[in-house]
Amino acid sequence: MTNDGNDLMLQPLNASTLARPHRPFSISRILAITFNTLTELTRLRVFYVLLVFALLLIGSSIFMAQFSFQQEFQILKDVSLGAISIFTSLLAIVATARLLPQDLEDRTVYTILAKPVPRFEYVLGKIAGVLLLLAISTLVMSAAFLLVLYLREQAVIHATLGQMSGAPPEQIADALRAIRSSALNIDIFPGIIIIYLKACLLAALTLFVSTFATTNIFTIVVMAFIYFIGHLQATAREYWLQEHSSGLLTRVFLAIVALLFPDLQAFNLVDDIVAGTAISLALFTKTAALGIFYTTIYTLLAAFVFYGKEL
Amino acid sequence: MTDSPRRSRTEAGPAVAVHGLTKTFSVPLHPARGIVAVKDLNLRIEPGEVYGLLGPNGSGKSTTLKIILGLVSPTRGRTEIFGRDSRLVESREAVGFLPENPYFYKYLTGEETLRFFGRLCGLRGARLKERIDELLELVGLTKARKRRLGVYSKGMLQRIGLAQALIHDPRLVVLDEPTAGVDPAGSREIRDLILDLKRRGITVLLSSHLLAQAQEICDRVGILADGVLVREGYLQELIAIENQTELVIADASVQLVNEIESVISRSNAKLIERRKSTTTLERLFLEATAKNDEARMSNDEKTKKQK
Repeated sequence: MTNDGNDLMLQPLNASTLARPHRPFSISRILAITFNTLTELTRLRVFYVLLVFALLLIGSSIFMAQFSFQQEFQILKDVSLGAISIFTSLLAIVATARLLPQDLEDRTVYTILAKPVPRFEYVLGKIAGVLLLLAISTLVMSAAFLLVLYLREQAVIHATLGQMSGAPPEQIADALRAIRSSALNIDIFPGIIIIYLKACLLAALTLFVSTFATTNIFTIVVMAFIYFIGHLQATAREYWLQEHSSGLLTRVFLAIVALLFPDLQAFNLVDDIVAGTAISLALFTKTAALGIFYTTIYTLLAAFVFYGKEL
Repeated sequence: MTDSPRRSRTEAGPAVAVHGLTKTFSVPLHPARGIVAVKDLNLRIEPGEVYGLLGPNGSGKSTTLKIILGLVSPTRGRTEIFGRDSRLVESREAVGFLPENPYFYKYLTGEETLRFFGRLCGLRGARLKERIDELLELVGLTKARKRRLGVYSKGMLQRIGLAQALIHDPRLVVLDEPTAGVDPAGSREIRDLILDLKRRGITVLLSSHLLAQAQEICDRVGILADGVLVREGYLQELIAIENQTELVIADASVQLVNEIESVISRSNAKLIERRKSTTTLERLFLEATAKNDEARMSNDEKTKKQK
């Protein structure tokens, strides 16, 4: 097999390399796992199905019934941002649910962890791969949405200029300002960032659930429950606080519920964007911090459970 | 193969040391009813040895290997690799592992697989590339380096698995059933590679239930049954029958053999068996299939020339 029976000299590595002390934390090891995870996920058909479906939905929103340009832009934003939100959330859950169980089932995890790779680096690399995939998906969908919005805005401006050819310049400028403010405006971007952070949170939570789940289906079903409860929990909490005193026990109970079922409704800024309400910096910062906090907590919990897991 | 200075250096302690190892797996819903996979196991594997951990399915071989590699934590006892507690991540710097029936990422090519595992071991750049080239050559997969693992045969997967185990030039290689499910030719190739590792001074710890193969390559063996080490020692000592001797003679005439028999009968010794030497079924299989391969290749060449 080896060179027709001739002995092949397999040189030992440079002694200085081998003598290098083990680094307890290595970005390059994490990046190797991150990019491998990204490659793995981009091979999944579900990724392309979801992406194409989202893009079709964004594209088709042009043809939805409209009475005025304000309504047209509102529908376009509502449908497109809603599609981006739902598809990134779905992708976060479906893509993450299989990562750890698949590696365990295929025994690839043994080969990786038998190398000098700490378990938390493996978990970090995996989640970073998913977050990168979600970032790419969000960018592609957002680019499609902004392109459609820009094209419609230009079409409406062109039509308005045609209709107002004899009108005074101030009137035309007012009309154009009205069109531009209801189409592409700066508030769309923080909205998209919040949608991405919500998907990151869901991915980290899915990873945490998958550390103790036995099958992918179990993880997805649990996450579907958490998703719906997470959207309803704010309403339930308000109702609970109205009915019960806000004593220490109640507050502890609500904190546990909030940790298990994050308030996903808090990440829903699409309605504000569609209604044209400006997203305040305080609201954006608070929501973004909440997303980053939850993502970090769930990743740490996943790493903690995986650290003690018998493989 | 020549030993590197690093290899020839006298190791301070054993390559693998297992002290009073016990592993009990708890049964869900019945915490009191644990399953004992390994019980009070003590092992000492010296540097440069090929050690075979033998035993039937479920005897605790894989569990022992996983504990040595830090993938499973022991219930009692401890394991060390070159003096380092094997629960420490840095102890794995000295180890290469090939799991039983490994499934690597099918979407990666052979070369990409080695690059991925090399990066996990801190290798990069020209040194990593050079190492990949060497290992692909060593395991005979240079021509298949750009092919995805999804189209690799079982034997090729085992060989790429062995290459990834060697990527960081480990001092200890742990192989869990390295020839399980591989055809005789592939199995022989892997056996040759293990012997090659031994020549270069690398310690090999392998688990197997293919006894004939273990007999060919192991210096020492330990036999596990129900998690207990029932026999251990140097292979030749374990399998030798002290009061018997074999003579293998080529080109002996019938008259010579009869004379030898009569000498034996006049002494206190007793002739137990007289038979023709036989080849092994493996050798017969390999010769037959090699001839077939040669005939096919020559036919292919003739066909090409005719075209």
